[in-house]
Amino acid sequence: MKLSFDETVEEFRAEFIAWLADNRPTAEEMEADPAMSSGHAPGWARRWTRRMFDAGWLVPGWPPERGGRDATPTQQLVYLEEMARAGVPRTTNPQGLGIVAPSILDYGSPEQIENYALPILRGEKSACLGMSEPGAGSDLAGLTTRAVRDGDTFVINGQKLWTSGAGHTEFCFLFCRTDPDAPKHKGISVILVDMNTPGLTVRPVPEIVDPRHAELNEVFLSDVIVPADNLVGTLNNGWAMANGSLAHERGMVWVQSVIELENATRRLLGEAPAMIAALPADEQATAADRIADLYIDAQAARCLGYLGFGKLLKGGSAPEQALMKMFSSETRQQLSLVAAEIQGPEALSPTVNPGVVLPLSTQDPTTWIEQYLRSFGVTISAGSSEIQRNIIADKVLGLPRS
Amino acid sequence: MDFTPTDDQEELRASVRAVLARACPPSAVRHVFEGKDGEYVPSRSGLWKQMVDLDWPALTIPEQFGGIGLGFVELSLVVEELGRVVAPSPFLATVTQFAPLVREVAPADRAEPYLRAIAERGATGTVALAEAPGTWDPGRVTTTARPVDGGWVLDGTKSWVCDGVGADHIAVVARAEHSSGTDGLGVFVVPGDFSPGRVLPVFDPTQPLVELVFDSVMVPADAVLAEPGREGVHASITRALEETTACLAASTCGSCRVIFETTLQYAKDREQYGQPIGSFQALKHRLVEMYLLLERASALSAYAALTIAEDDERRSVAVAMAKAAAGDCQRLLVQDGIQLHGGIGFTWENDLHMFAKRAKTNDFLFGGARTHRAAVARQVGVWT
Repeated sequence: MKLSFDETVEEFRAEFIAWLADNRPTAEEMEADPAMSSGHAPGWARRWTRRMFDAGWLVPGWPPERGGRDATPTQQLVYLEEMARAGVPRTTNPQGLGIVAPSILDYGSPEQIENYALPILRGEKSACLGMSEPGAGSDLAGLTTRAVRDGDTFVINGQKLWTSGAGHTEFCFLFCRTDPDAPKHKGISVILVDMNTPGLTVRPVPEIVDPRHAELNEVFLSDVIVPADNLVGTLNNGWAMANGSLAHERGMVWVQSVIELENATRRLLGEAPAMIAALPADEQATAADRIADLYIDAQAARCLGYLGFGKLLKGGSAPEQALMKMFSSETRQQLSLVAAEIQGPEALSPTVNPGVVLPLSTQDPTTWIEQYLRSFGVTISAGSSEIQRNIIADKVLGLPRS
Repeated sequence: MDFTPTDDQEELRASVRAVLARACPPSAVRHVFEGKDGEYVPSRSGLWKQMVDLDWPALTIPEQFGGIGLGFVELSLVVEELGRVVAPSPFLATVTQFAPLVREVAPADRAEPYLRAIAERGATGTVALAEAPGTWDPGRVTTTARPVDGGWVLDGTKSWVCDGVGADHIAVVARAEHSSGTDGLGVFVVPGDFSPGRVLPVFDPTQPLVELVFDSVMVPADAVLAEPGREGVHASITRALEETTACLAASTCGSCRVIFETTLQYAKDREQYGQPIGSFQALKHRLVEMYLLLERASALSAYAALTIAEDDERRSVAVAMAKAAAGDCQRLLVQDGIQLHGGIGFTWENDLHMFAKRAKTNDFLFGGARTHRAAVARQVGVWT
């Protein structure tokens, strides 16, 4: 066991910090033209992605031709931490960079890689993930959006829901049913659909905090015709891709959530002395106790992440990783709530102009209660906390199914 | 950066576990609980003799003092294993309380005979720090040390001294008269038989606690580890206490992991309504919660051990977090461990209570979860 990093990792860190200082987008640039959703890449974001790609800093673990530098997993960890420390978003389209592009690189044809994956990596396109539907949330395999082969095309009909960033993206990585007679996991395929294809419409679904802010969308598909060549991988192999694509950054996804949690913790600690001083004397210790408890949770999340990371590196299984999504999202939620409660009735006033909060933003300008309300997005999406508990009970603890 | 044990560390853990499986089965612990050991004296127990034969007390004593010189991570792994079997032994008091205090506060020549005695012949020791109303904060010590010709005279009452019966040496924290807070603290060694002590009635007899009354007890000059008024004594005591506290956290994790494993197995085996009770979602989610708090405590325990092993500047807050998390962990694991066992869980004949009582006891010793959360709050700047 060791706390410090090897020299080669520290050299890598120093190199990245220096490059970042010279090449990062400025705070003013980002503020002047904020991303409107996780599908939106403003000019600075596109240039930033391209700059990272060219310099091999976009996905450091990949080979240079794909925007990387063959970095080790530990170097990738340090990279993500330093990026967060500098207050720079790695991307404004995390599902494109983290899931869609790598899935196409793994499963797609050379043409798909050229026309869809590489443009994401060069900052030319952004992508959304068409997974959930009104009737297929936690039970994703129950999706009913149909794609029917018709000559050289697929004709797609159906509806997606909770599609992040859909209104700002160039294309969708769409999961649809291609064999209605097969068992539900075995009749699903992935098709790439350009968002400007006739018959495809996007309806924003503003979230709980602000009707002007719509990260989530409904996507309606009515006789949408796409070339059959847009099928990713083989027909009816979509479920493997659903698992594979979600697993792509699974080994590293925890880093983002831990960083986000620590940013929130830092903000809370910054505000804590004044908030506590404003409380009646006999309420102060309780408030301090609750903040300390959440601080410990945040630190525990990082340590759990490191522990699981270490086990994976050694080629073992890492049950800790299964806890990370549930633990970090629930801690984030409690932290916002506790902060608001300590803040008192001032917490009730909404942010005057919340604008848009960047994905993985290091500076969340919204109030604690707004953050609390938005935090349900994380405890519900990508496998709700309840589903996570079932998965851990089954897969990690080996409890029998009922 | 690596939070996982090295091969050597895993090997150490495995060998300690194998020895303890033979030397300290639940039946042996039960003997102590049921008084079949006669008057249980840790330092005269068979388990301690085996530990000494295997050189365990020497594992983390520095080589210059006749020890093996392993690091704090190794010690943390060993005490976690001791927690797994609720080992009745003076190991914790000697190796994780007395030895670090001696090493931290005394000059090397003064520390040497005590540490060498532990490493070479399995001498035992403990620390007399806590006083009513139950605080291990050295700043609140009231026991006084008065200089006299040839030494010092101690007056005061110490309580909850771990394994204070039969220990060879007791390190006493006392302060100069008219001093307060972090000033004026000193550390003195008295022989374990200076007073019979009053054995406190406790529900975990494997961790005997003793009250010691110092009524003008003379300490010769050569048994003074740190003279009151010397600079940095409080800081040195604090560093030693960090090791003690981190070990208690690790040991609690060990006991709690057994509670968890036992409860999980019970949920898989026990059938009602024609199916294992562990198939019911209500129990599944509670078991996941237990698992989470156990892993949270274990991860922070590993972190604390690393900060001490590398003398990282975050060690103080890391230790407070580890002890708080261990406290949170035992709180839920004892609660739900017993509850999910149903009727058998609160019987004397089931072994569960031995693990539960050790875990509970550990929480109260050297500050509980609330106390350590308060320390975290202070250290990370929650207050103005």
